[in-house]
Amino acid sequence: MNWTKLLFYTFLVFMIVLGAFFYRWIFANLIYAVVFSYILDPFVSLFERRRIPRWLSVVFVYLIIVGVIAWFTSRFIPDLVAQGNYLFDIFTSGEQLSGKYIVSLPFVRGIYEFMQSLDARIPGLALAPKMVEILDSANSFLASIPKLLMDNYQNILSAISLIATIPLLSFFMLKDKYKLRKAAMELSTNRYFELCIILLRKIDTNVGTFLRAMLFEVIVVGFMASIAFGIVGVRNPVLIGATAGVANIIPYFGPFMGGALAALSVLIDGGPIIMIVYAALAMYIVQVIDNNIIYPVVVGGTISMHPLLVLLTVLAGGWYGGILWMLISVPLVYISYSLIKVLYTNLRDFKII
Amino acid sequence: MIKMIVGWLKSLLHKPSKYASLRRYSIFKQLDSFELYLLNNFMHHRSFKQGELLFDVGYPLEVVFFIEKGEIEVIGKANPNGRSILSKNQWIGIMDMFYENIRSSSAKALTDVQVLAISREDLMDIIHKNPHMGLKILQGICESFSNYIFTLSDCLHTTASDVNRPADAGEGK
Repeated sequence: MNWTKLLFYTFLVFMIVLGAFFYRWIFANLIYAVVFSYILDPFVSLFERRRIPRWLSVVFVYLIIVGVIAWFTSRFIPDLVAQGNYLFDIFTSGEQLSGKYIVSLPFVRGIYEFMQSLDARIPGLALAPKMVEILDSANSFLASIPKLLMDNYQNILSAISLIATIPLLSFFMLKDKYKLRKAAMELSTNRYFELCIILLRKIDTNVGTFLRAMLFEVIVVGFMASIAFGIVGVRNPVLIGATAGVANIIPYFGPFMGGALAALSVLIDGGPIIMIVYAALAMYIVQVIDNNIIYPVVVGGTISMHPLLVLLTVLAGGWYGGILWMLISVPLVYISYSLIKVLYTNLRDFKII
Repeated sequence: MIKMIVGWLKSLLHKPSKYASLRRYSIFKQLDSFELYLLNNFMHHRSFKQGELLFDVGYPLEVVFFIEKGEIEVIGKANPNGRSILSKNQWIGIMDMFYENIRSSSAKALTDVQVLAISREDLMDIIHKNPHMGLKILQGICESFSNYIFTLSDCLHTTASDVNRPADAGEGK
């Protein structure tokens, strides 16, 4: 064993660990920037193929995004703000969501009365008061959200400033995409060079296609759900539709979350029970269009996981890191699985293992 | 920013020939500066020591090599006499690229070698996404294939031994 070599590699590992420790706070931002870059890359390449320098292509794409956001803001944000304010008022007032109020709602009243009848038959059960108590504690938590936001405004501001760095990081990632790729490939030895190229391409294709398809699906489903809920007459259709679009990322369970939100909105609003059926029907129609037209065309066969595995993955994601991880756990597991599959096949083909 | 814009405007008037060296490979000889720039984005510089294996028979074919410096011995069924020696400005892998996904020959560095490597998927992507440029590359490939076939046919007619591949038809499979 060459001691100089060993010493150098030990030092290198030490420096990498030290670097990882020093930069640990920005890892999440880097990952977000990579995701952002993957989504924008085809548009940048489209301009680049028109003989526009890459850096200027990135600027053009950014300008277009700013334009779209500005248009979207002027068109939809007033609605979203109004609908958000409505929910905010409900949370802060604490009246409409008090246990006693909720049990007076038509659908919940039935359940409440059933529990009361059970209480009457079985002495000491006290299910109905328990239900009011649980609803009250849920209400007090919801009412504390605005206060929570006020108390943590410094953290929120620092989070916003961190988020603002993402487009900047993405700018450099997009501009220097090829330089970064070449630098990464230079790290590989000749023996593993072709294998690394295959893996890099696989990551590029899988991650890029999947993320772009997912984003497109979120937008389309969100848009369709908003229109469908609006037609049915559910209150806050834009907000609920947008949430349903994002929740749709979770296969099988996402659509239920969208439908449940719409049902909750109808209940809070005190609307007739039949409206819940209409909202569910609206969400079902959106799902039929999504599953039969949008998903096969846009996302294609990118995800083909067994429903049980999806359920376990979503649950594990939820336990690990809440809603965000519920959203990203399925694509993350699928991409990791397909990469391991490619790695294993190629390691065998290149006679490395 | 202003400096970058001025630089870009200048580059429009005076086409840079930064990547002109790629034209020494006959399949890229018709490409203009911008097309060479696009191509260069996907090229990787690699160095191999004398005696080092570039690839072996049966390996998956992912990379096409363009020789910048040195000599490479290619052994395989597609070569006249079963073996050929490729050198500067020649390439390896194009013929297999259109035939199958695994290497039909093995290649070893006879001297210290420097090559440019490009993934065949990247090359096919470039051809698909830039049809005008792709046509030029495919035309170059066809020319080199026809040269190779004629050379091979001449060799078969004259003698069956010691056939050296022509410099420009440098396809070693």
